[in-house]
Amino acid sequence: MVAYVIKRVLWFPLVLAIISFVTFTMGFYGPGDPAMVRLGPKATPESIERMREKMGLNDPFLYQYTNYVFDALNGDFGESYSFSGRTVAELITKKIGISFQLGLAAMIISIGIGIPLGVLAAIRQGTLMDTFLVGFGLFFYATPVFISAPLLIMFFGVKFHLLPTSGWDGITSLSAIMPVIVLGFPGIAVMTRLTRASFLEVINQDFVRTAHAKGLSDFQVNTRHVMKNALIPLITVLGLSLATLVEGAFITETIFGIPGIGRLAVDSILSRDYPVIMAITLIVAFAFSLTNLIVDLLYCYVDPRIRLTG
Amino acid sequence: MRNFRYFVSGLLIILIIGCFGCIENNTNVKIDSSNDTLGESIEDSVFRRIWDDVPTLDPHHVSDTTSATIVVELFSGLVTISPDLLVVPDLAESWDISADGITYTFYLRDNAKFQNGRKVTAYDVEYSLERALNPSTMSPTVKNFLGDIVGSDDVMNGITKKISGVKVLDEMTISISIDQPKAYFLSKLTYPVSFVVDRNDIEKNDNSWFLNPNGTGPFILDKYVVGEELILRKNPNYYLNLPKLDYVIFKLSGGSALAMYENNEIDITGVGVADLDRISNVDDPLNSEVVVAIPGFDLTYIGFNVSMPPFDDPNIRKALAMSINKQLIASQVLLDLVVPANGILPPNFPGYNLEFNQINPDYEYNLELARELILNSKYSNNVPRIIITVPGMGGSVGLDLQVITQSWIDELLLNVEIEQVEWATFLDDLNARTFQSFAGMGWQADYPDPENFLDVNFHSKSPLNHTGYNNVNVDTLLEDARIKQSWEERKLLYNEAEKIIVQDAPIIPLWHSGENMVLIKPHVKGYLLTPLIIPKLKYVYIEK
Amino acid sequence: MIGHNSKNKKFWMRPKVIFAMFVLIMAYGGGIFSSVIAPYDYAEQDLSSVRQGPSMEHFLGTDFVGRDHFSRIIYSLRTNLIITFAAVVTGGVVLGIFLGLMSGYCGGWIDSLVMRIGDIFLAFPGLLLVILIAATIRPRLINWAREIEDTTFIEGLVQWGVIDYVIVFGSLAAFGWVGIARMVRGQVLQIREFEYVVAGKAIGASTPRVLLKHVFPNALPPIIVVLTMGMGSIVGAEVILSWLGIGIQPPTPSLGNMIREAQNISVLQNYPHMLIPPVLVVALLIFAWNLLGDAINDFFNPRSR
Repeated sequence: MVAYVIKRVLWFPLVLAIISFVTFTMGFYGPGDPAMVRLGPKATPESIERMREKMGLNDPFLYQYTNYVFDALNGDFGESYSFSGRTVAELITKKIGISFQLGLAAMIISIGIGIPLGVLAAIRQGTLMDTFLVGFGLFFYATPVFISAPLLIMFFGVKFHLLPTSGWDGITSLSAIMPVIVLGFPGIAVMTRLTRASFLEVINQDFVRTAHAKGLSDFQVNTRHVMKNALIPLITVLGLSLATLVEGAFITETIFGIPGIGRLAVDSILSRDYPVIMAITLIVAFAFSLTNLIVDLLYCYVDPRIRLTG
Repeated sequence: MRNFRYFVSGLLIILIIGCFGCIENNTNVKIDSSNDTLGESIEDSVFRRIWDDVPTLDPHHVSDTTSATIVVELFSGLVTISPDLLVVPDLAESWDISADGITYTFYLRDNAKFQNGRKVTAYDVEYSLERALNPSTMSPTVKNFLGDIVGSDDVMNGITKKISGVKVLDEMTISISIDQPKAYFLSKLTYPVSFVVDRNDIEKNDNSWFLNPNGTGPFILDKYVVGEELILRKNPNYYLNLPKLDYVIFKLSGGSALAMYENNEIDITGVGVADLDRISNVDDPLNSEVVVAIPGFDLTYIGFNVSMPPFDDPNIRKALAMSINKQLIASQVLLDLVVPANGILPPNFPGYNLEFNQINPDYEYNLELARELILNSKYSNNVPRIIITVPGMGGSVGLDLQVITQSWIDELLLNVEIEQVEWATFLDDLNARTFQSFAGMGWQADYPDPENFLDVNFHSKSPLNHTGYNNVNVDTLLEDARIKQSWEERKLLYNEAEKIIVQDAPIIPLWHSGENMVLIKPHVKGYLLTPLIIPKLKYVYIEK
Repeated sequence: MIGHNSKNKKFWMRPKVIFAMFVLIMAYGGGIFSSVIAPYDYAEQDLSSVRQGPSMEHFLGTDFVGRDHFSRIIYSLRTNLIITFAAVVTGGVVLGIFLGLMSGYCGGWIDSLVMRIGDIFLAFPGLLLVILIAATIRPRLINWAREIEDTTFIEGLVQWGVIDYVIVFGSLAAFGWVGIARMVRGQVLQIREFEYVVAGKAIGASTPRVLLKHVFPNALPPIIVVLTMGMGSIVGAEVILSWLGIGIQPPTPSLGNMIREAQNISVLQNYPHMLIPPVLVVALLIFAWNLLGDAINDFFNPRSR
């Protein structure tokens, strides 16, 4: 077990190195010159050349890459190319905070709404209510957010002027309502489906029948026995998939004009802001790898039958 | 089990990001948080609009309109452009021009002050010009704007730091000598690269001083949070009439401008094609708030690389120019938000030639003639594939261009493709002149002189000549026009040059931005719709 | 897989399945026969009838340059169809199943290698990488394609959007295989221990034979379920990429582009006919795939019904 963890942890830097190397290479050999983007279309060739020199873009590839890695290891992610005078750390922390609040709120509503709906569907299995909830789940499961976003904007923003159509004044403001709903929708659908399935699984088990036989009321059975056991596997599926959240954030932030990390990522790619691109890629990659490891360890904890190999 | 993974990922991300969130809360990245209740109190007069993140706030680095619009409010130079588009005194109270037209002597205002109250002297002007020219500043535009000053080359090449053509005569007087008597030199000094900056700022922090600058302009940078907002505050030390607004808020987070306008989130917005039908209706509540702006000093065009087949044959270029029904496209597709351009200079611009633009344009819509020209070209029935490259990615090809290319395909039976390339690659290839033809770019004048349109874009030696156009006659005309002192003479030379350029068709002029429809809230007064970027927020006031 | 034949009729008679199949056949049938069904060409412009609402001539109206909306949707379905299936065939089926089978059955260093490479792909922020690829590699690919067109008899690589297809389904495939491979591997790990597989190995059957004859058929049902459910995501992914402006490039019509072009609040307010139909089509397509996946799942795992 310990050996396994060590092995996996040692694997980490390698993954990050490979990912940073691939990203860096694509930036280095791809078309587009950050110096040119920074100085704009009216720049003279001399000034572009000087800017390249200052940014260190004329150095050999390996020198640039090792330099970057060395600085990054020391916590210095450099300065943004396109927002002059701003460090990458300064740009990213602010925006990660916003994206985080948005993601968290979306997660909370998907759990808060999804689980009760799933329970309802399971209890009323086979009724119209069940059919409706399952259909709802299927409809929003994997539906890109830009299907629901325009419709919401049209009704609440444009038709009835109830909510601002875009912008960001913090998670507690009115401007957060629509983005959170839009981002949370697929999550609600997923939670509903999974809760229902898990519930049905438990309902049919022996100890539940026994409980019924003992003469407990439906409500008591559902809360005391079914809920408790159905939620154990549910804990493992709580929350949105990280990928869905990240992808959803790209689009939600663009549609609603939210200054989050998703929009920054897209903008920085278009403006060849390599330091920002690298930093975002590395942070996300680190988080993904770390979770992969922890998940594998927890699997083993939850279900001892699974062997740790590899 | 897969979902379990996501659950844990979610938790972890919460933890990681949560930590960032804490850091962020402690290390406030606000530039200046001296005023927290900004814009909320009733007595403050505030003007709000949508804007984009600015590439730079360093006046010596400005080369784009997004930055320039903000920078002209924060900084100022010796001279500026007035709302009626004349070059007028700013930091300088007056100036003399020597009889040979080569030496300019500027007398500074007694009360000219930086925003922190320090007096502006001739030494500050000298320092600013030196800094702009210094190679380590890497100004993208300095060669075009200050390259005429005697000795500027030596500074730009790093030979010396002092400009031999700039002399401080006394604390309030400075003289600038240029290489040839160029009448338009004064208007070049209105561009941000000639603005005065505070030496103390730069010596303190060369990398990011402009995020908290001590400028001389009517407004102070109050706060700039990337992607959220940029706020200007009134400069109480301003040396001319004080601005009437207390704050100007530029909202940077994007969103739908018209919806925000209707929701009272902003005070001004343009009107796009999709809203025009609705706004034009007199019954619409917004209809009364429409203001029609005069055409901008700009030109949208399709550029040809004149050294690449098939555009090395002028017949092909002319044929293409002739086969665009500009009137129809302007009215049907762009709903008359643009003015079809037949010449290069926009209406009202100095040197604009009405006769040649409207009465007798060189290339009227004529498909028959266009087909004939193609047949007579050296490619006749075998014109190579035409690729028009435009900047931007996905879904953003201009409507006009979609119509134009389709009509070339249908009517001239040519093989035409639009190629979208994102901005970074576009710039790279534009400067390397690897495009066969390009579009989606326009030229916006920096100062009101035809030199800024014709010389800069079409002189064979100009670094911004992206088409590679090279005509000896045009070069001679343009060079003559540089040094003629009489405006009438210059005007004739530029008219002649413009005519030849349009006939040679290295570009197809498409539109001037036209009579733009703008919505302005009724309580906003004094907002000037100018065709150039000039400092104008100081004239705006709010009438409650 | 055994004994399901008697239930097959019942499967096809379920309302869910009938509805899903109806939508899918209509949509993809429209896509396949787009050039026959569409009343206009997708690029055909009519400047005398721009921004029109639904009418007899254009029954979903026209766009800003007078192109017929209905025809463009039909052609977009073709684009979507090609990409969806290309991505599934390359990414999902071939790569994912093959690597999953290999990794699960062989174990050892092959297993480690495949899974670790999978880890790297999982650790990548996929969408970011795809945008980066589209921004940096696409222009170079286009140049190569142009050279190929100029030097050989092959024509239209760029014009017909072949490069865009390659980039989009390439990136979908690159990130699509990991999930399938992991799932197949898990299945194989279980099946590997079954008596008949062990017996097969014992009597000396070759590895490919054991895989094909015994392991693969038994791993198939869950694979089908995951694939069908995944189809919805892939349909959505194509739309997302085009919508972000890094997928199919205009003038080739795609649903993502149509939604993007119309997705401005002003358009929504003044010309809702430009946005609603493509949005509904995408929503219905995804819904149908999910419905079908659900039905198949019920069929294989009757208990969760």
